[in-house]
Amino acid sequence: MVLTSFVFLIFCVITIFIYYIVPKKLQWCILLISSIIFLFWNNFSISTVIQALIVLIPTYILGRLIDKNYNTEKAKKFLILGILIILAQLIYLKYTNLFLTTANHIFNLFNIEYKFNLIYRNSLIGISYYSLIMISYLVDIYRGTCKAQKNILKCALFMSYFPILTSGPFVRYDNMENQLYEKHKFNYKNLCNGLIRILWGMFKILVISERLGMIVNSIYGNLNEFNFIFIFMAAILFPIQLYTNFSGSIDVIMGTSEIIGIKLPENFSLPFFSRTLAEFWRNWHITLGAWLRDYIFYPLQKSNVMQNLNKKCKNIFGKKIARKISMYLSMIIMWTLIGIWHGGAYTYIIGSGLLQFLFIFLEDILGPTSKKINNKLGINTEVFSYKLYQVIRTYLLFSFAMIFFKANSVTNAIDIIRGIFTISFSSLFSKERIYAMINNIGLDMFDFIILVVALIVLFGIQLLARKGKIREKLFNQNIVFRWVVIYTLIFGVIIFGCYGAGYNPTAFIYRQF
Amino acid sequence: MMENQEIYERLNNVFRDIFDDESIVVKPETTSNDIEDWDSLEHINLVVAVEQEFGMKFNMNEVTTMKNVGDMVKIILERKTK
Repeated sequence: MVLTSFVFLIFCVITIFIYYIVPKKLQWCILLISSIIFLFWNNFSISTVIQALIVLIPTYILGRLIDKNYNTEKAKKFLILGILIILAQLIYLKYTNLFLTTANHIFNLFNIEYKFNLIYRNSLIGISYYSLIMISYLVDIYRGTCKAQKNILKCALFMSYFPILTSGPFVRYDNMENQLYEKHKFNYKNLCNGLIRILWGMFKILVISERLGMIVNSIYGNLNEFNFIFIFMAAILFPIQLYTNFSGSIDVIMGTSEIIGIKLPENFSLPFFSRTLAEFWRNWHITLGAWLRDYIFYPLQKSNVMQNLNKKCKNIFGKKIARKISMYLSMIIMWTLIGIWHGGAYTYIIGSGLLQFLFIFLEDILGPTSKKINNKLGINTEVFSYKLYQVIRTYLLFSFAMIFFKANSVTNAIDIIRGIFTISFSSLFSKERIYAMINNIGLDMFDFIILVVALIVLFGIQLLARKGKIREKLFNQNIVFRWVVIYTLIFGVIIFGCYGAGYNPTAFIYRQF
Repeated sequence: MMENQEIYERLNNVFRDIFDDESIVVKPETTSNDIEDWDSLEHINLVVAVEQEFGMKFNMNEVTTMKNVGDMVKIILERKTK
């Protein structure tokens, strides 16, 4: 079920209606039933039911065992067993091809004729999300952050809460436990705020992201027909396409959940205003970053292996550098995992993993030098122009890495980069060539104008959002104004949303993960 | 038993060393917002350095939930009086 589809809308209306008319004690059961329907909507078979149970049953049992044996060696063994079971299935279903392609590359390298065929397995929606969420559940019980859930059905609801199955955010049990199972009274403010958020998300996806997608796909799909300026344009538009799509779906999810009365953690905080890439990633897919920090990065840094390495390096390089070495090592591991999580292909590992690490690493090691240079030259780094330069630099670095993320293959990404740097001035002055390129861009004049206006609206709203919570302010306005905004958004999305022929609203970029 | 003041003095040195800033003076209410370089990456380096300084261990729950230096000191005192 796609978040922008009519089916999802009806599904939500029915769920929320029943949710608020049943006795409050049963509300969580309604959520569970809806979540199960959502989980198996497109993909019901014995194999997918088994897939879900393979995560649920061991997690439930081991969670209770860890709780019972809290602070003992046994608890550790149960925890490791639980993590292994969940990871084994995730890797088997999602990342087999990563191993097979790697093997094929190695065969190729050694001139071995054999080649594995890639295998596409049928996995349940949300598996990349609920697998990690259930791992965090087990770890949190082990760490004493929360107690194990005694009711397996309640545990099932935590695993499958339907709004977050498609695109996150990652939730933690201690934050969800009370909200999921407690009684919720219908709340008019939540309804208004939720609706506005859903509509705003729809606007981002259907009015902006889909149109940008047409441009980006037209250009990347026919690289030979476009000159360097157009290819560069596609490269810098893709991050906005990805952002409006992903943060738009998060808005739909958060809005839906808000109407249900369950507050989810924010996943974005205006990333494109970030002055460094490190800061960018603290504002982009925040809950994934927090997950990796708490369950991979911190344990790695605190582990005996890293501490010993640290000690050895200290003797050779000194304290400061030794600390940096272990930090960078943990970061490489973390970024590789972020890349792998995004999809079992090299393009993701490079684009959303290793390149991001490389840029953040460079920012970190060049930071002190650039500070010194700025001081010497008397450059004021706290003025608008310098901040703007930093924001643009961060955006360009992210866009560059995202070329790999978007490309079909590493070779394709290199072709795109080559296209950007094949600067031909003749193509700039040929009227016919320029007209031909504009014609092939995938959007007509009308759509292009809508896109530009919508982007201006998005930018304006983001500037406002920097100064405080917009929906809160909106709610304090008169009821008439509030509903004018809601209706404007509804009609804006209906009239200007992309529903054209050949258009497939299912193509959420992030949904495939 | 270790005195509060002694703990703060030793913490000051650790903070100054980690964040490379001799002007740092930590108080119970000091948080990551008060120290420019104290981000989520440096946080773990700080924790490990504090562990080494005081010869104790924070558990992961404490690492991710401590809100300010006061919380940190409370845990150190707890471990040391055990």
